Amino acid sequence: MTEILKSVEYFLADRGIYMLTLVLLAIGIYGMIACSNYMKKLMCMNIMQVSIIFFFLTFGQKEGATIPVLLNDFLSADAYINPVPHALMLTAIVVSLGITGVGLALLMRIKDIYGTIEESEITGKGGNGK
Amino acid sequence: MSLMDHMPILVILFPLTATLLCPLLSHFSMNIAKRIVITALFISVICSVVQLAQVVVSGQAIHYELGGWKVPYGIEFVTDGLNGTVTLLVAVISWTTALFSSPFEKRERGSNTLRSAGYYSMLSFLAVGLLGMSQTGDAFNLYVFMEITAISGYGLIACGEGKGPIAAFRYLLTGTIGASLYLLGVGFLYAATGTLNMSDLAKYMPEVSDSPLIIFSIGCLIIGFGIKMALFPLHGWQPAAHSYAHPAADPMIAGIMIKVPAYAMLRFFFCIFKSTSPVMETFLDVLGIMAVMGVLFGSLKALRYDTYNKILAYSSIGQVGYIAMGFAIGNMYGLLGAVLHIISHAFMKAGLFYTSGALKFRYDIHETTQLGQIYRQMPATSLTMTVCALSMIGLPPFAGFFSKWYLALGAIENGQYGFVAVLIASSLLSAIYFFRVLEKLYMDKKDEKIAENAGRSNKKLELPWQIIVPMLVAVAAVILIGLFNSYIVGEVLKPTMTEVILS
Repeated sequence: MTEILKSVEYFLADRGIYMLTLVLLAIGIYGMIACSNYMKKLMCMNIMQVSIIFFFLTFGQKEGATIPVLLNDFLSADAYINPVPHALMLTAIVVSLGITGVGLALLMRIKDIYGTIEESEITGKGGNGK
Repeated sequence: MSLMDHMPILVILFPLTATLLCPLLSHFSMNIAKRIVITALFISVICSVVQLAQVVVSGQAIHYELGGWKVPYGIEFVTDGLNGTVTLLVAVISWTTALFSSPFEKRERGSNTLRSAGYYSMLSFLAVGLLGMSQTGDAFNLYVFMEITAISGYGLIACGEGKGPIAAFRYLLTGTIGASLYLLGVGFLYAATGTLNMSDLAKYMPEVSDSPLIIFSIGCLIIGFGIKMALFPLHGWQPAAHSYAHPAADPMIAGIMIKVPAYAMLRFFFCIFKSTSPVMETFLDVLGIMAVMGVLFGSLKALRYDTYNKILAYSSIGQVGYIAMGFAIGNMYGLLGAVLHIISHAFMKAGLFYTSGALKFRYDIHETTQLGQIYRQMPATSLTMTVCALSMIGLPPFAGFFSKWYLALGAIENGQYGFVAVLIASSLLSAIYFFRVLEKLYMDKKDEKIAENAGRSNKKLELPWQIIVPMLVAVAAVILIGLFNSYIVGEVLKPTMTEVILS
């Protein structure tokens, strides 16, 4: 029993943070499927994107390493964390901001046309399209 | 370096500049803004022809390092016979679509030109994204271009009347899941290999091919690309998005927006992962099952509808299934068939959506039941519809036949006769739904309203030339790809495929 607990503890210490990002991803995707309000769907989409950003940032970390900036003295390459995932995620954050902006603009159009952003009411009405 | 060495970036630079200039210039004159976009896309066609010629003549891929940063630290654009062809295809269809949009824009232009400018801006931005996706040699750069494509695509779909905004919003949600899963897959790849450059990834892949990270990565990529290319169980967004998108932008959205992710999937699966590892074979089997179900589902579902756009949208699901089937077959003929089908289906589907747009432009026809002998009034449209539909069914002189032929050869070589049976069955099904459309076009009884209208218009051409030219380009492309398929396959595609993919 204690051995199992120990292995679980070891697993959580080693990989636990990845499990958390996975849970976040699952919450995001579940919310996008389950919520009927378009605004909530959009928020869940953001949660999903944040989970992927977390994932990249976590695997970019290294224990005991310092920021990748050249300060007074140059250390060996091992002593710095990898800056590439952070740089990638800066781009990904900008992209997700853009997507959210387009999503909000679309929601405003939908609200103008249908007067609601509840999925059930929109599909019930059928809209003015064919 | 001379100008000729900069072709890979010039292809993208001109539409990108036009995207930014268009809204600005529209304050002074919408006509100038529009012409700038059309000209920029035409220059990009010329550049892609030049770079493809360079690749074919020299027999070597062009590696272009952006900003002079050395690979694998910087981003590079790689052009070989395979993606040079895809780039040319994207450029041609983008240019013809920009031309095609012109009369629609003129009709819809009100006092506020910003809407028209936004439309044109998004159109050339879509072209930038698709050209970038096909040119880039960097996995993360591909993600950025994929999102550029997606964002402008959402805008163009939302421009459509009726349910356009809803279709766009749903596509936004689904498309973002796809792109995020792609990003997650790239993250796993980066964690396993420490590089993002595609040729570098391919180099390190044999050392890590058994790692669970790679298995997760392949899974994420299949779902990610599957959503983007509307592969069968992941196609939910596609029929609405393709039917309700702006009629003028539809040829581009339906023609190439789902083909370029398919090309990217080919790059990832056969350039980076290779089909050698046992894991990859399992995934290709899964892909094969998805493809077969997609082909049958798309063709059967298309039978149910009378709305022209819906028929075309569901038939796209089937046709994307053919491409995935080529990947699942996985030998030389199968991949050649898949690539040839990417090219030929892009032109066929774009051509059919041009006719759909033309019908909407002149008579506001949405349903096939309204067609009633319209060939008397619109001969060029009917010609395009006939040629593209016959090619879609897969009749010999046209392009569609040859891609299916290569797929069948590949399946027979591998002994996968099930695929051959599915190919034949779905060709028969598509013959049923396309002949229903053609029957309405040529043999249905005349629509009185349209016949009455016809007497009144004394114009020489059935439609403005900007609509006729794109249709004729599509017809010419479908026929020429069919006639010169041995040249395209032998001289352009095969050298690259043997060198990069199946080495």
